[in-house]
Amino acid sequence: MAEVGDVRKAFRHVGKPVPRVDAPAKVTGRTIYGDDLKLPRMLHVKLVHAPVAHARIKGIDASKALAVPGVEAVITAQDLPPHRYDPDNRTRVLLARDEVLFYGQPVAAVLARDPYTSAYARDLVEVQYEELPPVLDPLEALRPDAPLARGSVQALEEGEVGGHITVEGAEARKEEGPRNVASTITFKRGDVEQGFKEAAAVVEGTWRTPMAHQSYIEPHVIVADYDSTGRLSIWSSTQAPFHVRNEVAKTLGLPETRVRVISTEVGGGFGGKIYLYEALVGALAMTLQRPVKLTMSRKEDMLAATPAPNCIVQLKMGMKADGTLSALKARVIFDTGAFPGAPLLPGCLLIGGFYKCPNLEIEGLEVFTNKVSVGALRAPGAHNVAFALESALDMLARRLELDPMEVRLKNAVEKGDPLPSGQPYPAIGLKECLEAVAKSQLWQRRHEIRAHPNRGVGLAVGGWLGGLQPASATVTLNADGTVNALVGAADITGTNTAFAQIVAEVLNLPLEMVRVTTGDTDSAPYAGMSAGSKVTFTVGRAVKLAAEDAKEQILRIASQRLEAPPEELELVDGVVRVRGREDKQLTFRELGRWSTAFGGRYPPIVGRGAVAPRLQAPSFSAQAVEVEVDPNTGQVQVLSWVVAQDVGFAINPMAVEGQMQGGSTQGLGLALFEEMAYDEQGRLLNPNLLDYRLPTTADVPPIETIIVEVPSEDGPYGARIVGEPSIVPGPAAVANAVADAIGARVFQAPLTPEKILHALGKIKD
Amino acid sequence: MRPFSYFIPASLQEALAIFQREGEGGRPIAGGTDLVVQLKEGGHKFPYPRYLVSVRRLPELRRLEWVEGEGLRLGAAVTMAEIEASPIVRERYLALAEGARVVGSRQTANMATVGGNLCNAAPSADTAPPLLVLGAKARILGPRGERLLPLEEFFLGPGRTVLEHGEVLVEVLLPPPLPRSASAYRRHTPRQCMDIAVVGVAAFLALDEAGEKIAEARIALGAVAPTPIRAHRAEALLVGRPASPEVLGEAALMAREEASPISDVRGSAQFRRYLVGVMTEAVLEEALSRARGR
Amino acid sequence: MPKQLIRLVVNGEGHEVAVEPWWSLLHVVREVIGLTGSKEGCGTGDCGACSMIVNGRLVTSCIFLALEADGAQVTTIEGIGGDKGLHPIQQAFVEEGAVQCGYCIPGMIVAAYDLLRQNPRPTLEEIRYALAGNLCRCTGYTKIYQAVLRAAEMMGG
Repeated sequence: MAEVGDVRKAFRHVGKPVPRVDAPAKVTGRTIYGDDLKLPRMLHVKLVHAPVAHARIKGIDASKALAVPGVEAVITAQDLPPHRYDPDNRTRVLLARDEVLFYGQPVAAVLARDPYTSAYARDLVEVQYEELPPVLDPLEALRPDAPLARGSVQALEEGEVGGHITVEGAEARKEEGPRNVASTITFKRGDVEQGFKEAAAVVEGTWRTPMAHQSYIEPHVIVADYDSTGRLSIWSSTQAPFHVRNEVAKTLGLPETRVRVISTEVGGGFGGKIYLYEALVGALAMTLQRPVKLTMSRKEDMLAATPAPNCIVQLKMGMKADGTLSALKARVIFDTGAFPGAPLLPGCLLIGGFYKCPNLEIEGLEVFTNKVSVGALRAPGAHNVAFALESALDMLARRLELDPMEVRLKNAVEKGDPLPSGQPYPAIGLKECLEAVAKSQLWQRRHEIRAHPNRGVGLAVGGWLGGLQPASATVTLNADGTVNALVGAADITGTNTAFAQIVAEVLNLPLEMVRVTTGDTDSAPYAGMSAGSKVTFTVGRAVKLAAEDAKEQILRIASQRLEAPPEELELVDGVVRVRGREDKQLTFRELGRWSTAFGGRYPPIVGRGAVAPRLQAPSFSAQAVEVEVDPNTGQVQVLSWVVAQDVGFAINPMAVEGQMQGGSTQGLGLALFEEMAYDEQGRLLNPNLLDYRLPTTADVPPIETIIVEVPSEDGPYGARIVGEPSIVPGPAAVANAVADAIGARVFQAPLTPEKILHALGKIKD
Repeated sequence: MRPFSYFIPASLQEALAIFQREGEGGRPIAGGTDLVVQLKEGGHKFPYPRYLVSVRRLPELRRLEWVEGEGLRLGAAVTMAEIEASPIVRERYLALAEGARVVGSRQTANMATVGGNLCNAAPSADTAPPLLVLGAKARILGPRGERLLPLEEFFLGPGRTVLEHGEVLVEVLLPPPLPRSASAYRRHTPRQCMDIAVVGVAAFLALDEAGEKIAEARIALGAVAPTPIRAHRAEALLVGRPASPEVLGEAALMAREEASPISDVRGSAQFRRYLVGVMTEAVLEEALSRARGR
Repeated sequence: MPKQLIRLVVNGEGHEVAVEPWWSLLHVVREVIGLTGSKEGCGTGDCGACSMIVNGRLVTSCIFLALEADGAQVTTIEGIGGDKGLHPIQQAFVEEGAVQCGYCIPGMIVAAYDLLRQNPRPTLEEIRYALAGNLCRCTGYTKIYQAVLRAAEMMGG
């Protein structure tokens, strides 16, 4: 840490807390979000959401809806323009055709002149359904005699099997093998049975985490306009404008030159705003030849967006008397809903990826059910498996009377240790995070806290490997000497502020002279999606390269003009001067004019940066939580929370703290409140923010942050990924704290009062 | 939302006349915190009103006044925030202040009214158990004149009350508190606030002159039956007996038997039944300690 | 029934609007009057993103029927600070890093403004109780607490 501190002193902008440049517009309500957009002649669309989880569509009667004044059209799957349809791909089923696969699936679209009318008329569309048995529980779904969640699963199975073995074999397999499987994965290392023999203690259990919703406060909003030149423009609150362009173009059969995506200010995403109904709204705009807006209500968003999956982890772990892990055997089952897309790979990598363990066996299954198709939620899959892993580790420590901190420090992965896939870790800071929490006031006070009846302290870790995707950026000099940077990544977490810091650092400018803009997909240099915690790590490198490129161009011209070699030049606040010669200088303003004005003699200064990062910079977080449990009602109150996270180098510590606190609070929500509840017919029971409970201010104490900086090998200034890891430890940390407080171990998140009373034996089924 | 008509009468008489004129399918609306959400989300199952009559500003429904010898007149359109802030409610009907305080957010409390809370007839309504133990009577005005009902008789089932077409709940009347008496309300919710009661329990206790025996007792339970209910058998166990922890415990066990909860997304039946026991005991203790402090 | 005419004063400016009975105040302010700072996050009064002050009372305007705002004085986020520069609460939110995606922030600031009008020097616990009707999914609230405490100080409460 001391070393990094010294590095920080060498910088003018990076490493310093800077308020977000977009904050003044946001605090005054002037920021334009998707729902604030209005286009001439715009129609408002509402989707007809299926009221059943599994059914055949027998007919759709839109006559009553069409009779409502103001309604312009009702569009079903049959009315859509020709497009690429694939029943096995969520993104290629714009509206359900024959089979409804989940409660809330869109089956038709109602377009009207105002949103009240489209919502009213939507309820008048009559759809006839022939109900099919819904498959809801993933374990039930795996049984050989389970009904199929979707007609096409059978087609998939038969097709694949038919190509390899005989028909009789195929039938035998069909009856014996698990059903409704979308994909599987297996990792093995060493000999687990031997490992369990070497263990002084073994724990085994089944941990469950329910479907959870990202619950961005801004529901999905999409506006599309198809103009007379044949170009489709889409405004979407997406984290992934280029991905949306790619998907829309492919689905609607348009070249990417004819699709422009503008990512409007994202009112929260957390992985849930990658890609949803952009192609559908685009197709409606093409059909109606008018701009179309879809603003989803909270209920619609909870029914038909892409929440995080329900997960079941069957875990067995063995530990030697000295606290060394000897074996880990896990079966990880993700309920992917109606379409593939559950985070099976990260879940299976990470359950064996936090600790060294010589013997492991991990089996992952992605299972179809008749529920909404799932997507990413901040470190997708990680909190689900961490809940099991970190609970089991505490149970082992308790069994062997070892300190939970010591046990974690002893087994924590370090640089060079392999993931279950065999891939070795680059430089990481898990141990450093644990050490930071060990020094925190909360951890130091833990014996004192535990003396208080019904209070306890829990510890857990979590990490995320981070995404990698190519990225690019440009940095240009304006006529007045100010500098613009252009990127293609949606700014969700304050990345454009960090980029401004980077550009100002490289060019040694006051921050106010730099402006960073996220362009649309027509104008911006390519960037991967703002997901996987990687924007600063990847796009930041491109921005740095672009700024350095611009600097080189500036120095080249200045070197000619000032007749001095570039090495002798320095950049100070928009002035290029020969070191030690105050008289030999020129300004950015002069350079800007010479490279832009009539008769200008230099080409415009355009710095370019493009990267294809190949080395991840994983980030770990360790968290300690103090809770008080009411043993009579089972109610848990979080009293204090400390989060340490290795961020490599905090380019903007204020933003980094905000990420750590935000992620921790989402972890708190998953730990105590959040759960999408379904009835036996597969109907979502709580599609609202009253019964889908997000943590409120009354539930969340101030969260203490400890920034740990173990530099990454590849990131800008040593920065590594930041956004996702902080959500991961929460459920396990709270479960461990509850167990510490009252001795009750809860295996199912969220830890509701009811489950705690069950664990205490105070209520029984 | 489906179309509906909306009337804002200037007086209670005008409101009643509108119901007469427009016929069936009308509903009074006050703060709208329940009703507007139902209009938005209710879909086809919700008995959608043809018209609404706004009663939130009618002077007769806005009264919050102490009448010497009579007690408290609490207008149906008085908001949760106003109830909670009322010194007279806090001093004499603390359970009601406690119930009003936990309804939704500050925003909700500024809009939601006590009449709306009662007429929406959710089993979990937070002002219902306090008003039941405080001996509230409902004053109803309608085409056939006035009705004055004990609040116990007001609720018929989830979302259903005795109000007939054209009738308006005007106010709730609370008798003056007895000497050496006190009340308390608590509810259980997963979140610290912004939530719906999984179980709500209110208690009222009055001590005898010596301050030793329980002279009068009332217990009411929310969210554990089709309507908010009184736990009459538990109350009977208390009256005339010494105010001891054992006695309170016995009553709590009895209250548990009197509850008939269902399982839903907010909690299972056995969880709710269990909570009735522990919470009744705690609320009785609270009411007792308050009564002793008087 | 034809639309009904209402008159209301929003941030000091008078408006006459013909409304349908089922329109919310939020709809009128955003779509008719054109002040889009207030946001709809849930439509059911559970998130607070649409918070406004109506006749001195903080409400969730998504479930406040527009007809009931006839004759009302309404304050929205646009009426706080605005042309005169940032209000101290807004300043504190910027400086403390209490803003991330920003969608909840207009409602949050209106609620904080309402709180500080009534309680100029709230404790942390009072802030945590008072803002419970305003959900934020990004910040985890810590920096919002700091911003409100700092704003109270700046305003000399």
